[in-house]
Amino acid sequence: METLLNPSKTPNLFIPKTHLFKLSFLHSNFNPQPHSSFNRRPLSITITCKVKTSQGRKNDGKNISKKIVLTDSAPELSNEEIKAKPKGGGKAWGVIKKFPKRVLAILSNLPLAIGEMFTVAGLMALGTAIDQGESPEYYFQKYPEENPIFGFFTWRWVLTLGFDHMFSSPVFLGTLILLGTSLMACTYTTQIPLVKVARRWSFLQSADSIRKQEFSDTLPQASVSDLGVILMGAEYEVFLKGPSLYAFKGLAGRFAPIGVHLAMLLIMAGGTLSATGSFRGSVTVPQGLNFVMGDVLGPTGFLSTPTEAFNTEVHVNKFYMDYYDSGEVSQFHTDLSLFDMNGKEVMRKTLSVNDPLRYGGITIYQTDWSFSALQILKDGEGPFNLAMAPLTINGDKKLFGTFLPVGDTDSSNVKGISMLARDLQSIVLYDKQGKFAGVRRPNSKLPIEIDGTKIVIVDAIGSSGLDLKTDPGVPAVYAGFGALMLTTCISYLSHAQIWALQDGTTVIVGGKTNRAKAEFPDEMNRLLDQVPEIVESSISKKPDNIGG
Amino acid sequence: MIFSTLEHILTHISFSVVSIVITIHFLTLFLLVDEVVGLYDSSEKGMIVTFFCITGLLVTRWIYSGHFPLSDLYESLIFLSWGFSLIHMVSYLKFKKRKNNLSAITAPSAIFTQGFATSGLLTKMHQSAILAPALQSQWLMMHVSMMVLGYAALLCGSLLSVALLVITFRKAIKIIGENNNFSFSFGKIQYMNERSNVLLNTYFLSSKNYYRYQLTQQLDRWSYRIISLGFIFLTIGILSGAVWANEAWGSYWNWDPKETWAFITWTVFAIYFHTRTNLEGVNSALVASMGFLIIWICYFGVNLLGIGLHSYGSFTLN
Repeated sequence: METLLNPSKTPNLFIPKTHLFKLSFLHSNFNPQPHSSFNRRPLSITITCKVKTSQGRKNDGKNISKKIVLTDSAPELSNEEIKAKPKGGGKAWGVIKKFPKRVLAILSNLPLAIGEMFTVAGLMALGTAIDQGESPEYYFQKYPEENPIFGFFTWRWVLTLGFDHMFSSPVFLGTLILLGTSLMACTYTTQIPLVKVARRWSFLQSADSIRKQEFSDTLPQASVSDLGVILMGAEYEVFLKGPSLYAFKGLAGRFAPIGVHLAMLLIMAGGTLSATGSFRGSVTVPQGLNFVMGDVLGPTGFLSTPTEAFNTEVHVNKFYMDYYDSGEVSQFHTDLSLFDMNGKEVMRKTLSVNDPLRYGGITIYQTDWSFSALQILKDGEGPFNLAMAPLTINGDKKLFGTFLPVGDTDSSNVKGISMLARDLQSIVLYDKQGKFAGVRRPNSKLPIEIDGTKIVIVDAIGSSGLDLKTDPGVPAVYAGFGALMLTTCISYLSHAQIWALQDGTTVIVGGKTNRAKAEFPDEMNRLLDQVPEIVESSISKKPDNIGG
Repeated sequence: MIFSTLEHILTHISFSVVSIVITIHFLTLFLLVDEVVGLYDSSEKGMIVTFFCITGLLVTRWIYSGHFPLSDLYESLIFLSWGFSLIHMVSYLKFKKRKNNLSAITAPSAIFTQGFATSGLLTKMHQSAILAPALQSQWLMMHVSMMVLGYAALLCGSLLSVALLVITFRKAIKIIGENNNFSFSFGKIQYMNERSNVLLNTYFLSSKNYYRYQLTQQLDRWSYRIISLGFIFLTIGILSGAVWANEAWGSYWNWDPKETWAFITWTVFAIYFHTRTNLEGVNSALVASMGFLIIWICYFGVNLLGIGLHSYGSFTLN
């Protein structure tokens, strides 16, 4: 392995005209000519060398020039990670310029990345095990100092490291940022050169190197061009040069991991934008009332800037629910009208749970509902609006109740009629002693007589629980999602490479693949079986199978 | 009425067929296979019958309840066992010629998940329930089915890695015990793996070791392919879930326990792929075995907590 040295312009170093360096397969060892003048200083030499990669020696026409910067310590070379720029003179400037290279080399270290991924996974698991977002007293109780879990884990750990809000804590975010920079470094230093190497097609010149491949075989009476035709039929791209052949298939499978990493970077960028630039808010609006969007939305980060659409006024025309025959709620609907600053109606739409309203970058979601008031007639007078209050019970079934005082309202022990409801369909009424009196539906208008008072339920007025949101990061995140799905699917493809050499009348075939290693020998055998055997005698043509 | 009886019949048929298949499998394994090809064939046919039974079961349930059969834990368990039998069918159809080790993994998995689903623990969930408003969406089909298929594939792949670890560790102990001259270590075996096949014949003493080595190689490659496939499904599942969450709840990622654990599973299998680039064999198998536990925590353990936005799948043991 020979190299030629082309000295670059470095005024204060004396560099001899030619050097002979021996670069063996995986590591370098070079013997500089002994010159005391540059033993201590960093050398700045540009070397043009032919590097022997695992794909065999390059043809004469193809000359990779890799520039290597030598320092006074032995450089570590690996085939695909050599990337450097020629340095200028001066030591301090050189050190500063070298710093990014060193950082890049450290960051793109694979075990470091694996460690980071493990750390992220562990922190997330911890975040689900520790209850998030509670008050400090809760943690004092749960992780007391007198009885620490595993002997050391107390509330001090939880609060100082920010584990009570794990997913926005500095520890977690810092690890994520580190992972992101590792991703970027790795893509830049390792993956892109890998693409360049993979794309280059190379011919193997010697039969030995072909035999050393993972799969290799010999076809006694065959021609390499027949093999080429068969491979082309099997969707390989075939290159034939004299007696040697190179074919490959599925190159996209090599590029796709880069796509995966880039998609992840896009998602992380979009997520950061979402976290720092969006607005969020929720509101419960009784039917018939309005609110202005800007009053409800609050910023989440320092990049949040409100837009013109924030002045829109939202009016809830109607809120209603659909029910199954069994009485369970099947869907909530809210009929909304949007008015701009001049009072003109700009949009009208009925929302439901999986069907949000989008206007001017703001999205309104139907997430919840509540019972605002019950409208009743008492003894023919009214209508009175009784506010309904939510009663807490376990589970996610709601219960609302209200109370109509009857008789002497100034005494300390006021008695009255209680009304309870689970949804807007039916109201259950109880008398002064708390005994069950009856059930009425609001649209039936049937009166009910309780303790001498005639009650008619006129209407059940619900209120709609709406969540509003604006999120500038969503397009980037969705693009990242799509790219990630696509590139993950593509990276399932296997990159197969086949070399062949015509040696007299025999053809030596070798191949390898990076993913589908189990199926590759079978596929190769099937293809080789189809190569016709060349029979010397002029009589017959060929049988179709050939032993290897 | 007829649909629910049909459903019952299909459940019981598939359960019994799978138990028969497993019994046959264990018999063939212990009685040294090759003479009893007829029996092996019948076990393959049994798995095909199981596949069709479970498919029929799911279709019946779909028609009967009007929604895609994936709305609670019982239905997702049935879907999971369907996923296992689907993987078995696909590998059987692709590799008709050779005997398939995979069925030793998929058949027991199918029966265990199905057995658990139909057992007494979850009887009150057997009737199809109505869907909550948040679940009435087209996304339900894509997100949940992708996730469950992804779990099925990843579980198969990680079980294969566990098998690989078991075989390798037994082999190591045996070799070191047998023959002190050679004192093999894992490093040597993996190093040779990267060299040509020619060296294998000269290094291994007995044909038994060679066949074991072939077996671990095959297990490693199978597990890699299946885990890749499962990873693709898992990615699509998580991402479609995020898009659905954005449409329904207003935000694509809420650090909900189930979402977080799905992300942890994704990360662990991404680590699996990254540990494969330099050394093949034991390291990645260790990671995949961890992945097995994590999938169960993600699928089952989180449901036991019963909190968060994904509480549809929860149940209480009583």
